[in-house]
Amino acid sequence: MGLVSSLVRLVLSPQFFGPIVFPGLVTVLAVLLSIIWVERKIAARVQMRVGPLYILRPLGGAIQMLADGLRFFFQEFIVPETVDRVPFLLAPVVAMSFAMLPFAFVPLAPNFKPYTVPYSMPAFLGLNTVIPLTVLAMAWGSNNKFSIQGGIREAYMTIAYEAVLFISAYSMALLYHTLDFAEMVEAQKVPGILLNPISALVFFIAMIMSAGKLPFDIVEGEQEIVAGPFTEYSGIAFGLTMGIGYVQLYGFTLAFTLMYLSGWEPLVAPLYSIYPALGGILLFVKAYLLLVFIVFLRAVYGRYRLDQALRIGWRTLFPLAIVSVFLSIALGVIGVV
Amino acid sequence: MFRGKVRRHVEAIATGLKYLVKPNRITVYYPEEAIVLSERYRGMIHYDWDKCISCGLCAMICPADAMKMYRKKGEKKARPGINYQRCIFCGYCVDICPTNALSFTRVHDVAFEKLDEMLYPPEKFTSEWRSPAEERGARRLRVVFDEERGLKHVPEQ
Repeated sequence: MGLVSSLVRLVLSPQFFGPIVFPGLVTVLAVLLSIIWVERKIAARVQMRVGPLYILRPLGGAIQMLADGLRFFFQEFIVPETVDRVPFLLAPVVAMSFAMLPFAFVPLAPNFKPYTVPYSMPAFLGLNTVIPLTVLAMAWGSNNKFSIQGGIREAYMTIAYEAVLFISAYSMALLYHTLDFAEMVEAQKVPGILLNPISALVFFIAMIMSAGKLPFDIVEGEQEIVAGPFTEYSGIAFGLTMGIGYVQLYGFTLAFTLMYLSGWEPLVAPLYSIYPALGGILLFVKAYLLLVFIVFLRAVYGRYRLDQALRIGWRTLFPLAIVSVFLSIALGVIGVV
Repeated sequence: MFRGKVRRHVEAIATGLKYLVKPNRITVYYPEEAIVLSERYRGMIHYDWDKCISCGLCAMICPADAMKMYRKKGEKKARPGINYQRCIFCGYCVDICPTNALSFTRVHDVAFEKLDEMLYPPEKFTSEWRSPAEERGARRLRVVFDEERGLKHVPEQ
């Protein structure tokens, strides 16, 4: 009895529940399985097609991704002779770990933080910056011309979006006078997207670039360089490399919701009184809807070329990010927040 | 210029949303539905044993070397056989046949398990072709032009 109750207490403690159950590992897997199906269905609807259908037909092929995932598990994982084995095998695992780690800094509800630190916003963004490095390791370790090209593209893209992402996020920190997600949510009487729309737009575009989703899937570049840095991967390692972008994007949508869409407010009080983490349900719903919107953009936009994306990053987004900083300072001086 | 760019982004997203809410699908659910093909469709070729006069024109005209004349030992007449590994469905053999012994069927959706099965000597060449989808009772659809939508599939009467 004592063991069971202490286990339950462990599972329900913020330190465990946040990263492992919600919004972490378990929820990430559920989001991964659902969002890829949603993405394919939406793209199919817009493009006069039907999309996945035959696996569980009454629900329109909803468990297609489960079938694909199972296939990844049982497929042979081929390690080519010419690869550099240590980075080749380690990089996808490290990348996935670092895509999962930021969830430890996502607060779910008032006084429900997995990891209590006053700098959760920079910690969240900082952990995400490790992923491009692991992608470079994959590219280098694969020892393949397509992988190298993809790696170089990743390096170019990283310097184009990372500064922009950070500056636009820090402009919100200036506005709210805090670097903590939870305090940012409390500071938002009006949603941040209305206070500083420039920062929201820039962060939105930069986070799509960062996750490498269409229209910025330049690193993968399926039409030109097979799968970029992930070309040599097969089986479950390919599944991991495919999932990284989605996990990253899901994390970023949570951060976007916390910074610009007033997070879990208005708090669902009855659920919050049952268990604090359930108060985060609105945060999740907002983030998921945002995710659906982003995957919908895939059906609308064509891919940008590398040089076009870099131009957007440096010539448009970077100045806009600087402008958003000044806007935040101006709003702060006036005393809006 | 800036306003024009923003307007085009908004228009693109609005168009996408329009189709998301009201999809304009053109997919034919193939094994359950099948399109009725035109009379002149160039599908698998049927060979009429009795009409053939063994002139050999079909084998001569074939640009892909798919058609060949087969002669059994002791027989005078040679008869055509086809290799579907090579056939490009150009229809020259059907056109040139002086007695219309060769004719196109409207069947195209067949599959072969082995490459050898694609070889059709004269005896096998006379076999009838059946569409597997239609054998399973697929709904027959006809393609019609529609003023608003472009192409449309309607059930055949």
